[in-house]
Parts: sequence; C-alpha cells; structure tokens
Amino acid sequence: MRWLGLGLAAVLALGLALVLGPTPVPWAALGSSDIVRELRLPRALLAFLVGGGLGLAGAALQALVRNPLADPFLLGLSGGAGLGAVLAIATHLSGPWTLPLAAFAGALAAMALVYRLGLAGGAELDPRALILGGVAVGAFAGAVTTAIVSLASAVELRNALLWLWGGFSGSSWDGVLVVCLYFPVPLVVLLAAARPLDLLALGEEPARYLGADVARVRRRVYVAASLLTAAAVAVSGVIGFVGLIVPHAMRALWGHQHRVLLPAAFLGGGILLTLADTVARVVVAPRELPVGIVTALVGVPVFALLMRRWTAS
Amino acid sequence: MALAHRARRRLPISAPTGVGFFAMRRSAHRTHLAGLLALLAACGGGERGATTRAPLPPARRIVSLSPAVTELLYALGAGDRVVGRTTWCDYPPAVRAVPSVGDGLSPNLEAIVARRPDLVVLYRSALNETAAQRLRALGLATAVLPQDRLEDLAAAARVLGRLTGRSAAGDSIAQSLAALVAAPAPDLGVRLAFIVWDNPPMVIGGASYLDQLATLAGARNVFHDLGTSSAVVSIETIAARDPDVLVTLVDSGAPRLPAFAARREWQALRAVRERRLVMLTGSLFGRPSPRAAAAVAELRRQLEGGEGATR
Repeated sequence: MRWLGLGLAAVLALGLALVLGPTPVPWAALGSSDIVRELRLPRALLAFLVGGGLGLAGAALQALVRNPLADPFLLGLSGGAGLGAVLAIATHLSGPWTLPLAAFAGALAAMALVYRLGLAGGAELDPRALILGGVAVGAFAGAVTTAIVSLASAVELRNALLWLWGGFSGSSWDGVLVVCLYFPVPLVVLLAAARPLDLLALGEEPARYLGADVARVRRRVYVAASLLTAAAVAVSGVIGFVGLIVPHAMRALWGHQHRVLLPAAFLGGGILLTLADTVARVVVAPRELPVGIVTALVGVPVFALLMRRWTAS
Repeated sequence: MALAHRARRRLPISAPTGVGFFAMRRSAHRTHLAGLLALLAACGGGERGATTRAPLPPARRIVSLSPAVTELLYALGAGDRVVGRTTWCDYPPAVRAVPSVGDGLSPNLEAIVARRPDLVVLYRSALNETAAQRLRALGLATAVLPQDRLEDLAAAARVLGRLTGRSAAGDSIAQSLAALVAAPAPDLGVRLAFIVWDNPPMVIGGASYLDQLATLAGARNVFHDLGTSSAVVSIETIAARDPDVLVTLVDSGAPRLPAFAARREWQALRAVRERRLVMLTGSLFGRPSPRAAAAVAELRRQLEGGEGATR
C-alpha cells in the first residue's frame, strides 16, 4: 500500500513536470510537442534520477557515519566539484561538456583525498576521520576556489559558480543517457549493502559479532555513495537539502530497515526534486528560480510536519 | 564585457527599471557642478565639506574606475590626465599604458590613493557608494555616476566635461548621444535575444544597455519586458518567444560560435537550428560608450547581413 502511494506520487510528479511549464502547451499537442519531448521530458527524468541518487546516497552515508547531519555533500564533494569547474574555466578549457567533466573530476579527487584521510587510523575507514577529513577538504577546496575567482575575476567564473549552485536548465537527453549508463552500478552496490547497514546501525562491535565485514561495507558504501553524488554534481551542480531531509523523512514514514528505507529514499528524493524543479520553472515565469531554493521551501514544511508526528508518537 | 552588467548582476537584487529610470532622470537634472559639489560637501562631512571652493580647478590627476568613464575622458581630450584605470579599460589602446588599480568592482582604496588623484570617478553601485564615502573621508574628490544607459552616459559626459574644464567637449558628446537616442534606426522587423550565459541560460532584459542598442539598431529584444538588466530563464521560454536571431558577446579575438550552439537541448530554438547567431565584441558592445553610434551601426549591419544570408 505504501509502495503504491509512493509510486503514484512519482508518476504524478513526473506527469506534472511534463504538463506544466512557463509556456502553455495544449493537452492535445503534449505528445507531439518539441518542447515537451526535447526539453521537459529529459529535464523531468534527470531531476528524478538526480533527486533519487542524492536521497539514496544521503540515507547510506547517514548510516555509514552514524550521524543524522550527514548528507552527500558533507564529505567534501561539493568543494572538490566547484574547484574542478572553476579550474577548467580559469585555464580556458572549453567545450559543451567541460564544466560537468571538470566538476566530476574535482569531486572524485576530493573523494580520493577524503578516503585517504579516513584511513588515518590504519587500514580501516574511520567514520569520524571521514567526517573531519571531508569538512577539511571541502573548506580547503572552497578557499582555493574563492582565491581563483577573486584573482581571475572573469565573468565566466561567476557564471560557473551560478551553474554550480545547481539546476536543471541545461538538461538534455545526453545527460539522461549518461546518468542511466552510470547510475546502475553504485545503485546496486548500495541496495545490496542494506543488511550490513542494518547491522552497522547496532554499533560496530555488535555488527562484527553478527558477521558483517565492517571495513569492507564501509569502503563500498562510501565509494558508491560518493560516485553517485559526483555524477549528480556533474549533471546538475550542487543541490543541497534533498540528501539530508529525504532520508530522515523516509525513516519517519518507513522505519529503519535499510532494505525498505533505501529504495524509499530513492523514490522520495526523485519526487521531491521533480516537484521542486517544476515549481522553479513555473512560479516566477518567464524567469527561473534556483531549484535548491525550492527544495528547501517545499521540503522544510513537509519535514517539520513529519517531525511533529515523529516526536508525538 | 560590460562592467555595468557585471557590477549590476553582483547585486543580490537588481533595481527594477522604474526605480533606475527615476534616479537617472533626477541625476540628469542636476548635472551641473554646483549640484555635484553640494553632494560632495554633504557626504564629505564636517569641516572639510564646508570648505567648498567656488570654481573648482579642473582635475589634473583622475582615477577612472569604469571603462565607460575612461573612454569618455579620452573622448573629452583629457586622456593624458588619467592616472589610474581598471583592468577592464581597454579602449582607446593608449590607456593600457596607464597603471591599473584593480577590477574596480570593490575598489582597492590603497592602490587608488597611491596614484595621488585629485578626482576619482566611480560607477554607481552599492559597493562603490561605500567606497566613494571612504575615499571622501580620505580627502579625495569623487564623482559617482550611473552609466547603465546612453542617457546616463550623456549626463556623465557633461559632468566630466565640467570637472575637467572641457565643458564644450562634454556638451557636444552629450548632444550627439542624445541625438542617437532620439532617432532609432527604422524597424528591421528582427526579433532577437541576447544570450549572455548558456547554463543556466541567462538573457538580457529591458533595463540593460544592450536592450537599448537593439532598439536603436531597429531590432526588438524579445525579453524587453523583463525589468532587470539580465535574468535566468529556461530554454523553453526562449524557444516559446522564438527570436529570429541570438546575439552573444565575445571577449575579444576571432568570433567563435558559442558552445551551446552545438548542444542538443538548444536545437529546440529556431535561431540555433538555422544558425542565425550574431557575435559581438564585448569591448564595443558590452558597455555604453561614446562609440555607441558605431556599435549601433555595426549591430544593424550584422542583422541586415544575417537577413540577407538566410533569404
């Protein structure tokens, strides 16, 4: 029943995204309209996939570092992505895919660095070291980015930051294709880690006694969640909030079992981001709002309601 | 690209046209020196402000913090008195020999003071108003001039003419700019959009100088109704407004096709599919300047050429 509800909500969100837009498209022409086929449909799908990826990555990372504040960008990825994008522009690389690829490379570099820092204590990934390392790497990358922007001061750099704040204005079928080819592996890895994550929630020692290979689970989950996030940054910039709030909301609705929670977080994130992007496109038309603002404006009240229910029970 | 545009977009909220126009009209009315001096005195504060010398001697060492002002000063014949410029000042070429004092956006006070100017001219923006206050506190004369539209530039020409003792030249530049504004070229029937950035797509709205250029060249900006100088819109909106021509600004060098022209999602635009793209150099087109007449003529030539090529 709950799955049916979530599925219906997803279909509804995608449908609204196709029907609504800054320019009215008559019902009869929906199927044949270029605007719907080439602009709205890829945009809606991309928003859904990215939202889902962020929601899932957030749920997995929160379990991994056992910290409710964890979100996909806590571990330095946004800083690395921003630095990559700004470096590409400052060194005059150009081409239609430069910015996404550079942001992806930057996020991966940050991930590798944080991973190395996370191994500080020895051969095992230490969650506390991961968080601290992530914050440190993020701050460092942010400082270098700001230095480049303030020294080079080209218009393109400021516009690159605008892109980095996130949005789906540039969505195309190419982007959807890239995500569809890329997402399955980290998605499957994360979904397969559902049971070990349940055990890990009991604590490191109990998890070990119950037969979980804690070190391996941590490595896999961290790398898979980071890869998902890096791809999300590459196609849509840094969209905050989805990966933080959606997992908590889904936990309130569905409980703590990761086998249920992880797919629910994927669907929930997709629904939230698709709806938010539709609002961003429509509400101040012909202009457009940054989608991150809408996710916060739409998501916070919903989250507050859920929190009340949650604390009341 | 335009300092004006850049500076304006840095503000969190762009002023709606109405407000901008109002302020501009008001400042146009008090372009005489007395008004400016009163302003200086009012802001200078205390004893210093009270020592208003009646006929101010012409400024001899001027730091210009905007490319448009730099061009104006050279056009007035006061180019040899420019002792400081911004990194964006690239016209006339002689100005490159003048030391730069930074990018002029959040002015580097120390660099400005080190040039020992007797007049600092700033573009009017919130950041620059604060900087001007501090410069005045340091005992430097400042002029803060709006430079968003050609009308602003005409007013600025008069003010700078008086401040440099070249009122006649200033008035003549102002008159030729006013004449240009008063007589737009006959309508070409071309509807265009200025694309200043592709992801997120950013277009030029009605408050911008480029919008004015388009009108003067006999074309219409399809985003004229947007009250700000620039705005983020969706590709869908651009496609729905269906401009005949897309105009982009290039910094310098050989005009290159913009990268977005090759991207799939942009093919939803007729102007992209038909490759009706016009590239303009930022130095001439990105800011209101005394060369506006040349900019208008060049834009019109390119638009007419584009028309011919597709027929």
